[in-house]
Amino acid sequence: MSEHAVVGKGVPRVDALEKVTGAAKYGADINFPGMLHARIFRSTEVHAKILSIDTSEAEKLPGVHAIITQDDIPTGRAVFAKEKVLYYGEPLGAVAATDPDIAEEAAELVKVEYEPLPVVQDVMESIKPDAPHLLNDRTKDGPRRRVITRQLKKLSKETGEDNSAEIERLNAELGGLDDEIYYNVAGETHESAGDVEQGFAESDVVVEGTYTIPRVHQVYMEPHVSVAQAEPSGKLTVWASTQGHFAIRSGIAGVLGIPLSDINVVGVTMGGGFGGRFNIQATHVPAVILSQKTGRPVKAQLNREEEFLDGRPGAGCVIKLKTGVMDDGTIVARKALAFWDCGSVAGGPIANTIRIRGVYKFPHLQMDAYAVHTNKSGTTSYRAPGAPQAIFAAESQLDEIATIIGMDPVDLRMKNMREEGDQVPAGATEPIVGYKETLKAAADAVDWWNREKGPNQGWGVAVGDWTNGCGPGAVYVSVHEDGSVRLFHGSMDITGTDTAMAQIAAEVLTVPYEQVSITRGDTNSAPYNTGSGGSVVTFTMGNTAKLAAEDARGRLLELAAQRLNTDIEHVELRDGKVSLTNGDAPKSLSLGELAAYSLSTTGGPIVGKGSLSGRLSAPAVAVQIAKVEVNPETGNTKVLRTVASQDVGFAINPIAVEGQIEGGVVQGYAWSMMEEMQYDEKGNVNPGFVDYRVPTTADIPRIESVIVEVPAPNGPYGAKGVGEPSLTPTLATFANAVTDATGVRINDLPIKPEKIVNALKSNGNGSR
Amino acid sequence: MRNFEFFEPKTIGEASSLLVQYGGEAELLGGGTDLIIGMKDRTVTPKYVISLEKVPGMEGITYDDTNGLWVGAMTKMRALERSSIVRERYTALAEGAEEVGSIQIRNLATLGGNIAHGSPAADTAAALLVLDAQVNIADGNGERTVPIADFYLGPGQTVLQAGEILTGFSMPPRSAKSGSQYLKHKIRQVMDLAFVGVATSVSLSNGTVADTKIGLAAVAPKPIRATNAEAIITGNSVSDNLLQQAAGAAAAQSSPISDLRCTAEHRREIVAALTKETAMTAVARAQV
Ligand SMILES: Cc1cc2nc3c(=O)[nH]c(=O)nc-3n(C[C@H](O)[C@H](O)[C@H](O)COP(=O)(O)OP(=O)(O)OC[C@H]3O[C@@H](n4cnc5c(N)ncnc54)[C@H](O)[C@@H]3O)c2cc1C
Repeated sequence: MSEHAVVGKGVPRVDALEKVTGAAKYGADINFPGMLHARIFRSTEVHAKILSIDTSEAEKLPGVHAIITQDDIPTGRAVFAKEKVLYYGEPLGAVAATDPDIAEEAAELVKVEYEPLPVVQDVMESIKPDAPHLLNDRTKDGPRRRVITRQLKKLSKETGEDNSAEIERLNAELGGLDDEIYYNVAGETHESAGDVEQGFAESDVVVEGTYTIPRVHQVYMEPHVSVAQAEPSGKLTVWASTQGHFAIRSGIAGVLGIPLSDINVVGVTMGGGFGGRFNIQATHVPAVILSQKTGRPVKAQLNREEEFLDGRPGAGCVIKLKTGVMDDGTIVARKALAFWDCGSVAGGPIANTIRIRGVYKFPHLQMDAYAVHTNKSGTTSYRAPGAPQAIFAAESQLDEIATIIGMDPVDLRMKNMREEGDQVPAGATEPIVGYKETLKAAADAVDWWNREKGPNQGWGVAVGDWTNGCGPGAVYVSVHEDGSVRLFHGSMDITGTDTAMAQIAAEVLTVPYEQVSITRGDTNSAPYNTGSGGSVVTFTMGNTAKLAAEDARGRLLELAAQRLNTDIEHVELRDGKVSLTNGDAPKSLSLGELAAYSLSTTGGPIVGKGSLSGRLSAPAVAVQIAKVEVNPETGNTKVLRTVASQDVGFAINPIAVEGQIEGGVVQGYAWSMMEEMQYDEKGNVNPGFVDYRVPTTADIPRIESVIVEVPAPNGPYGAKGVGEPSLTPTLATFANAVTDATGVRINDLPIKPEKIVNALKSNGNGSR
Repeated sequence: MRNFEFFEPKTIGEASSLLVQYGGEAELLGGGTDLIIGMKDRTVTPKYVISLEKVPGMEGITYDDTNGLWVGAMTKMRALERSSIVRERYTALAEGAEEVGSIQIRNLATLGGNIAHGSPAADTAAALLVLDAQVNIADGNGERTVPIADFYLGPGQTVLQAGEILTGFSMPPRSAKSGSQYLKHKIRQVMDLAFVGVATSVSLSNGTVADTKIGLAAVAPKPIRATNAEAIITGNSVSDNLLQQAAGAAAAQSSPISDLRCTAEHRREIVAALTKETAMTAVARAQV
């Protein structure tokens, strides 16, 4: 710990003051004289052919400057619906007017004629032949059909031996598998290891279940907003509230068919993203095209209802899961069949269904996952996309197994956890990991094996895992004549990553944290940078900041050696000064002196550069334990205690790390107990905070965070991605706690009071 | 939000004549926590908004042993929940007020607005029902008084006529041997609208319940009294069995709907559970 001066300390965030005082400028705070306001007009049907769109009345409204539809998209790429709408709230076009109320009024005056079509909202219905086929009539094979079809193909190619009997047998089986012909499939992934059926045959206990996880919105505090200004020259500036302004630049260039160099995207301070703020269509493209049409700056801003109707939330899914174990708790085999609801746009985190393998070693695995269309908006990432859902199924089932075989849930997990060098099912071998340390840390924090509970109380534990991505990213470091240090980069700070970068630069250059400042550039000025998602930022930008600072340090040492007439081996940087180390007179030069001196050298000012991509990251694990009390009469659940341990590699800023852990726990608690986007044949029926519940501080008591540090070999000072893992185990943690309190298991989230009351009734141990 | 003209009359008479003058195009403004939301959503689009803020005598809580409690229509929820007399003698009302939204909302939300809005789920409605509240109504020419049970006509509908303003609520004094409670079924601990709200008040005499009133919110087109359940309890000493019966009767008298929050069946079960619990608590409170 004490080997570091600045990293590892909970210093205040670089942006603390501007945020606390309200000085920070968010997208909604960007205003220009003459600016127009956009309003998107949207489908009022859930699934329908568009017969006509009539904007003539809207155009006549005083104050309206322009109205656009899909016909105004130069490349023809889908921005607005033209022929058909696939969900309620789908954008049909946009209006620009002198004030938001006029724009809203005008949007209401647009007349659209539809021919309604049948609606499907449930993935399990959508895959059936009699469901409306939303985008095409193509079908995909279910798991067993895939295997048989492949075998048949192979057999038909084999000559010599007579295999007609086998072909006949397989064809007969195929004939009975009509329910494995899936419609409305947008994508699929499959993984396997060993022979899962053999694994089940060898198991002492096999448990099966179906788990339903609802679609949830990222509910970032700030709705989408952008301001666009088109210049007569054709150049564009976009002030965007986004997780990645470079991604927005390329997105806009693609839709408009113009060069990247014509677009400057300014990333502004943003009110949360959680994976949901990469969308170019929501506001950026409409603002840009309306600005091109009117020559005026245009602000496009969604309200909360629009965020729900037309956001890109996290996908819901249905997972059928089966696990085989030996009586002693050894996991043998696990199989998952998942249907992800990707709404009307192909997507959904189907590949992350593989997270059902968890952090355990077992030989037999099969995973088949499908993305299925429904009449909803598309989906996108939400904090560890797919993992909370898959891990909810996996860790709920593991708990059920613990009960069946009479084993402690922590012991069962500990017994099966992988260690360094173990084979990951359908994966590589495990690098150095902290799974067991992290589980033990959480268990110790609550004194697990001596835990106590009163009537209607219960404990739940679950383990989640995630691996961060990396890069590309780049940072420049400048050292100024007053000894101050400035970092310059193109990374959006959501979680405090600028602070981590500043800490790292201060550490390397041995200056006080307060002496380092950091500037984010727009896409015209900053070097390319990856978006801020996938827990990449501290891992990537921490490394680049470190490289850049080290580069600058190298230059400082060189200069100092030159100035002090010695060799570079004989100088060292410490406490913001370069000093001689070879016992001569105690001469030293401060960073400021060196920076001033550099200006008159042929080498020029001191600049360090760091640039990298694709460094191998390390698996992170999060373990959470919760204690709850359930009122069996009303079904209400009260959280009594929550402990969250996480292997963060190294906590560059422990306060920021705790903030990330707490945020994940709260979001996971919400997803397990209350959050749910509800849909029926009329579309999303709870598009607002009255009936889409996110918890308040009254719902969850203080979260006890336990930081575990098993360093990542390639992380800056060993740091791992911290943002996403904390949400991965939470759904299962609370579900398991409710089961321990009530004796009933609810596999259909969220666990609303009504479900608990009903389950208790049908279980026969209800209170009445 | 559409543009509107804003008025701040200084008397009831002035407010009332503005209401009459602009008819259906005017809305009264209390704390605005229902009205402004509606205006932003364009579900209410008044051309004229008449604030009651500057009308004197509409805010406050007074009590005396003869006349009982009076609460002005413009009294804020926060004031109600913090009033010691309300908390001690009219406990269900303090608890109902306390259930409304957040502290920020309760610093704006008025008791008059909560009731005049006509929501069957209003958190103070069940309490006012069981505390025998009389609604004071004025129009500048005169006043009338309507029992709270008769005030509601249906969802969003009340007996208020054109030009009429709700000025306050009177509740009779309560004996020392009385107690009440309001409980709200919701998912979140705070800031959630009632799935079901139940208030019960009792007064005891010689160990039996001399008087019982049970009010139900969010389980009928308007807040209602569970009179059948009241009859089961009144005149008896409470027992688990008796309360069980009363709970069943209250559930039977409710007529909830199924909606996206929960099913009608669940609401009935909750009516039963909360009837039993509030009755037990009310009796316990009456005994101390
Ligand atoms: C975030 C939030 C949370 C909420 N949570 C709850 C909750 O938990 N429980 C709950 O019950 N409510 C809740 N509400 C609704 C609202 O706060 C209450 O109903 C509140 O009491 C309304 O009072 P007000 O003074 O703000 O009414 P206003 O909005 O000012 O008025 C409401 C209606 O009553 C009329 N009106 C107001 N005063 C009078 C009067 N003196 N005479 C005649 N008509 C009048 C107005 O014209 C209007 O139609 C919530 C609202 C918000 C915004």
